[in-house]
This record gives sequence, C-alpha cells and structure tokens, in this order.
Amino acid sequence: MKGIDPVALATPLFIVTIILEIVLTRLCKLKAHYEARDTAASLFMGLGSSVAGLATGGLVVAATLWVYQHRLFDIPMTVVWAWVAIFLLEDLTYYVFHRLSHERRFWWAAHVNHHTSQHYNLSTALRQTWTGGLAGTWALWLPLAFLGFPPAMIALQKGISLVYQYWIHTEAIRRMPRWFEAVFNTPSHHRVHHARNPIYLDRNYAGILIVWDRLFGTFQPELTAEPCRYGVVKNLGTFNILRVAFHEWIAMAADVSRHPRHLLGYVFGPPGWSHDASRETSAMIKARARVSG
Amino acid sequence: MDKDFLIQLAASAAAVGALIALAAWAKIARPAGPLDERKARTILTEEFPGRAVQNLWIASDGAGALARSGGLALVICQVGDGFVARQAPWAQVVCASFKDGKLRINLDDISAPTAVIALPAWPPKDLAA
Repeated sequence: MKGIDPVALATPLFIVTIILEIVLTRLCKLKAHYEARDTAASLFMGLGSSVAGLATGGLVVAATLWVYQHRLFDIPMTVVWAWVAIFLLEDLTYYVFHRLSHERRFWWAAHVNHHTSQHYNLSTALRQTWTGGLAGTWALWLPLAFLGFPPAMIALQKGISLVYQYWIHTEAIRRMPRWFEAVFNTPSHHRVHHARNPIYLDRNYAGILIVWDRLFGTFQPELTAEPCRYGVVKNLGTFNILRVAFHEWIAMAADVSRHPRHLLGYVFGPPGWSHDASRETSAMIKARARVSG
Repeated sequence: MDKDFLIQLAASAAAVGALIALAAWAKIARPAGPLDERKARTILTEEFPGRAVQNLWIASDGAGALARSGGLALVICQVGDGFVARQAPWAQVVCASFKDGKLRINLDDISAPTAVIALPAWPPKDLAA
C-alpha cells in the first residue's frame, strides 16, 4: 500500500503556512495567537503521532488487506464514480469516527489531546493523537475495503481528508463565501468544534463536508455574540506532552480502579459521566446553560 | 523504520525546533496580563456558573486566584497565556502547604496536578474554620 501519502507531501506546506501565520501576525497583517510552549506541545504531539503510528500501522494495513480479500465488489480506481463514492463514504466514515471520539470516553481518551490547546491556530491542527491506533477506530474504515474499494484508494482519501482539515485550524479566516460555508467544513465551523462554550460542545464533527452535521443534527454556526473559548471543559494545567497524550487514559483507569462495578459507564459512557452524577457530561453542561439562559 | 522515514522525521524535528523559536520570537501570545479582582470574577463566573463566591484572594503575582464558595475552594491558575480552573474541598485547601509565600494546592487531577498561588499569608485567620 506504499504510494502517495498526501500528509507527507503536504508537510512542507504545513511548515510554510505556520511560518506565514506567525510572521504576518507579528506584522499585524493577520489575527492569530501563538504561545511558544503551547506551540511546542502541539508540534511535538504531531511529531510523536507519526512515530506512534508505526506501532499499529502494520496491523491496520494487514487488517485492511485481509478484509479486501473478502470484498463484495471489485471497484476500479480508474473511474470517476469510484472517486466520488470514496470521497462521500470516507467523509461519512470520518464523521462517525469523530462523533464516536467525542461522545464515548474510551475513544475520547485517544482524541482529547487534539483539543487540549487553549489556542486555535495552524499548529493546533498538528496536535495529533499518539494512541488512536490502540483505540482501534481505524476499524471503522474496514467496511470500505469490504465493499471493494482498494486499500490504496482508501488510504489516499483518508490522507486528503487530513490535509483538508489542516487549513481550517485558524482564526485568520473569518468566513468563506456563503455557498462554501453551506457545503464544506470551514475555519468558522471548526472553531465552533474546538470551543468549550456550552452551546458549542459536541458540535460540527465534519471532516470535509459540513452537510453530515446538518443532516444528523449536530451543526452549530459560529455566533458573533458568543466568541469561541478554546480547549476542553477542564483545561490542562501543564504543557507536558506525556500528560497531554495520556491524561484521559490515566484518569479513566483511576476511575475504573476506584469504582470497578461501574467499569462500563466509566469506559464507554460519555466523557464526564460518573456513577454518582458528581461530574458533568456535555449534555448536562448544555442543559444547565440553557436553563440559566 | 526505513531510511526515508528517519530522514523525514529528522527534518520534521528540525522544523519543529525552528517553528517553536519563531513563535517565541514573535511574542504574539494573548495579552493575559496579571489578574485583578474584576478579571478573576469574570473567569470564576465562566468556569463555575451559578456558584456564589464568598471570599476571593488574588495571587500577589497576579498569576492565580482562590475563592471560597461554601464548602468548596475555586482555584484559577495561569498556564501560559491562559487560565485553568479547578475546585477542591475548602477544608483541604485551608490545610494546604504554605511555604515562602506560596500556597501549594493538591488538585488530585492528572491533567492539573497542583496549583501554586502566591499569597502574603495562609490560612486567613478568620476563615480557617
């Protein structure tokens, strides 16, 4: 499955655009904020993620190839409809993965690190998981191979989606043209996704097409009256990347060891779930905010 | 790990170093500034909605604040150019270690293990009970 890797190809673009965002902000031509330790945490998480990916990369490839051997159909890579289909189905798969990663703690533990920055700039896009492979969410893409999409085609489309999602991590772009905002994920939509204001929690899970959120009722537009406050409900008190990468796993293990009878709730319940309702889930926070007006 | 990957990793690590240096040089962090009472109350309202604050102490270096709300201590601490908030039992905070003008509060949280608040004295004599 070794071939074109859109993320590797785009790496120079990532570097150049971060330089531009910093320098143009310094020259007062753009609006962005960079804090050096926050930037370091984001970039080292990104670097670590590419190394961590090696640990499970072989398993992912082997599983995908095995499933592909038992495929239902032979879908050629040389026809346009196949690319349209993989674009739509991969993007829908991403929506499901992303929603699961926010709404169930086991997968949130792997994904939370991407949301731990109190900043929203291009470096935040590179704050990637170290434990996503272990969390097993890659299995969500296996049905595409079972349908008959070649593994290389799936990998390429996944890479294209990741690269697309890079540029939307910025405050420098306020709004795209109306038609674009209606169909595609944009900086404005994704700012909402990274915000911790109650109204914005668990919204805008889209990868490339925002239409999935509109279809499944998870869309929330950015409101001028409600400026985004970034990060997680309980922001991290450290820039230590080991804590950034593993804090939720450790907290989950601690909860399970303290309350083994409630293992299922603490592992597969929504983030913030507790057996005695001493903590708040996103739904509880949103409900409380709605009541208090 | 193949050679291409190692070369790519080394180049990325060098770029990461350069980008961190550039971010530090640019000095474009949020203008956080030291906390005053008004700002501390705004953060407390955002972080602990609906919680009434009975007493508020602002850190002498402006990098944090501590409030009492019934049986709870509400703690805010500066981290980088942002703030982090946690709550802890008041009784535990009253007994927290205070040395060299710094109150060290164990937050019992892997993602924010300790809060350090600079205060002239601790505990406040009239509120220690």
